[in-house]
Amino acid sequence: MHDIAGEAVQFIDLNTMNILFLFVVGFIGGLVSGFIGSGGAFVLTPAMMSLGVLGTVAVASNMCHKFPKAMVGAYKRFKYGQVDIKLGLVISASAGLGVWVGIKIQEMILAAWGQAGSNLYVSLSFVVILVIVGGYVFYDAWKTQKTGGAEKVSALALRLQKIELWPMMHFKTANVRISLWFTLPIGFATGMLAATIAVGGFIGVPGMIYGLGATGLVASATELVVAFVMGFFGTIKWAMHGMVDIRLTLIILAGSLIGVQLGAIGTTYVKEYMIKVVMGTIMIIVAVSRALAVPQYLKELGFISLSPTTLNILSKASFIIMCLALAVGSFIILGAMWKAKRAESAAKKAADYSLAEESYG
Amino acid sequence: MKDQKNQTDRVAEGEAEMPAFSMSQAAADGRSSQVKRKILVVGKEHAFTPEVMDYAVSLAQRLGYDLIGMNLKPALEQSGKFFSPYNQHLRAKFTKQARVAWEKTKTGLQQQGIRGDHVVRFNDVAEAVKDLNQQVKRIDFVIADVGINSEEITGEIPLPVFSISGYEGGQVMAQEQGVNRSKLVGKTIALGLGSVAIYAAVFWNSGSVMQLFTKGGLYAALPVATVFLVSFVHGAFASNLWSCLGIEATKKVQPRVAPRPVSRKRPRPQLRINA
Repeated sequence: MHDIAGEAVQFIDLNTMNILFLFVVGFIGGLVSGFIGSGGAFVLTPAMMSLGVLGTVAVASNMCHKFPKAMVGAYKRFKYGQVDIKLGLVISASAGLGVWVGIKIQEMILAAWGQAGSNLYVSLSFVVILVIVGGYVFYDAWKTQKTGGAEKVSALALRLQKIELWPMMHFKTANVRISLWFTLPIGFATGMLAATIAVGGFIGVPGMIYGLGATGLVASATELVVAFVMGFFGTIKWAMHGMVDIRLTLIILAGSLIGVQLGAIGTTYVKEYMIKVVMGTIMIIVAVSRALAVPQYLKELGFISLSPTTLNILSKASFIIMCLALAVGSFIILGAMWKAKRAESAAKKAADYSLAEESYG
Repeated sequence: MKDQKNQTDRVAEGEAEMPAFSMSQAAADGRSSQVKRKILVVGKEHAFTPEVMDYAVSLAQRLGYDLIGMNLKPALEQSGKFFSPYNQHLRAKFTKQARVAWEKTKTGLQQQGIRGDHVVRFNDVAEAVKDLNQQVKRIDFVIADVGINSEEITGEIPLPVFSISGYEGGQVMAQEQGVNRSKLVGKTIALGLGSVAIYAAVFWNSGSVMQLFTKGGLYAALPVATVFLVSFVHGAFASNLWSCLGIEATKKVQPRVAPRPVSRKRPRPQLRINA
């Protein structure tokens, strides 16, 4: 884990363990984002940094892997008829503005309170947003499951759809007709969250579900389009500063392209509310992980005092729990797929058997 | 000459077998008694499997029905206003292939005195059949070619659908899958090698690659182009890999709820006084 001093930026040496680790995390991240439309990035950036990669290089390389992954996932799910391209592009456009504002806020906080203040801001946004939104998503999934598994359009979305405010837009795949004005805050919040915690989908997908009235399936698939557009322009920006470590990007991509396909296939197996279950679970676990990181920044800012051992334990626990979030998410996805697949093959076998009885019996 | 006689005999036989049925039908629908009943054969390749076509033809001949062949390619469906020239090109190519294949079938049909029509569609089996059923009158039933899963034809189609099973049908299906499978494995291996080649090209001389790729400015195009290339080749490899392992999208668990047709108000006759 030693750094080689480059001319401008430091890039790490790669060994087999590092490569394997990134490949596996890439695969799991891909699986989750193919399924819920985003995810993976929140583990990959800290994971790369733990290998000794510079923060900016980690963010840049991560973003460079994110947009091709999102593209492949979006294409796959487009073939299943789940992607609303128009909605994705509309959200992306306003997300661009959100990213810009998000970066400005970050810069202001950095100038006022320094790096620790900025980290605190990021962690607190993580905790607050993920607990509120993730909690609601999880509660909704639980409610849906209890009432028989049929998704209902939220009351808010229904009310917003009724408001005739020029310009009205019709999103065909999402089967939603709504004023452009109501899509803007969702896109804006997605962009701001992406600029702050690198995973805009945690706001974008619930926003499309509860604010616009898209199904979880369409919302998560459409989020891949948003992720592609934002990741593409973000990558160009980073690459122009020469921050993309193509080796890291390609290793992660090797795993994540395989994962994203599996995640996309998985959406066709499971019941629709499973997307919400996975998303809510991951969001809440990540929130716990980030909450454990808060004391460190509070200490750096001088608000509290803690022993270094406690801090060390907390930061390790935070990272492990973050990895756990991905692991649990992928476990639920694979489990649900496995169950659905088994049920399907059992049904097929029964059908074949009865057919055989008919023809030869 | 003999053929023709044979055929008329068969038609007569067919009618003799179910005179009550056709009589009542004709009486119920007096206007369309001129329109012949039809069998619709649906296939997902540009040409129909000979076994299925033979079966459909002999059935049409026996019953005195017309035949409609429908070649589908749901993969080329365009949703929304998304316009892709490549898609258009693929559609044109598929249509052309299907027409050529149909010409051969058509000569066979003409020899047997059966009227055959041909359509090419680019949507789901269920949707395509439903649409056609609204456009063309008196399609009696549908014969699904090999390659159409039972999931695709259950539920949403307002007509009875038959697929060929039994010994020969089973044989045909096994054959088809075998051919597709070895093709798929070959393609996966080729794409895998391509993806290995790209990775080798980058990592072989990673020092100079890194230097060039991180120069910044317009050199930003290099990493972006590389990941695009990787996502095409490696992405296609990954997709085929899962297909090879037998993990493919299913439609069974999540049946799409077919939207109920909007009930149109029929103009009711009203008494009016012309004053």
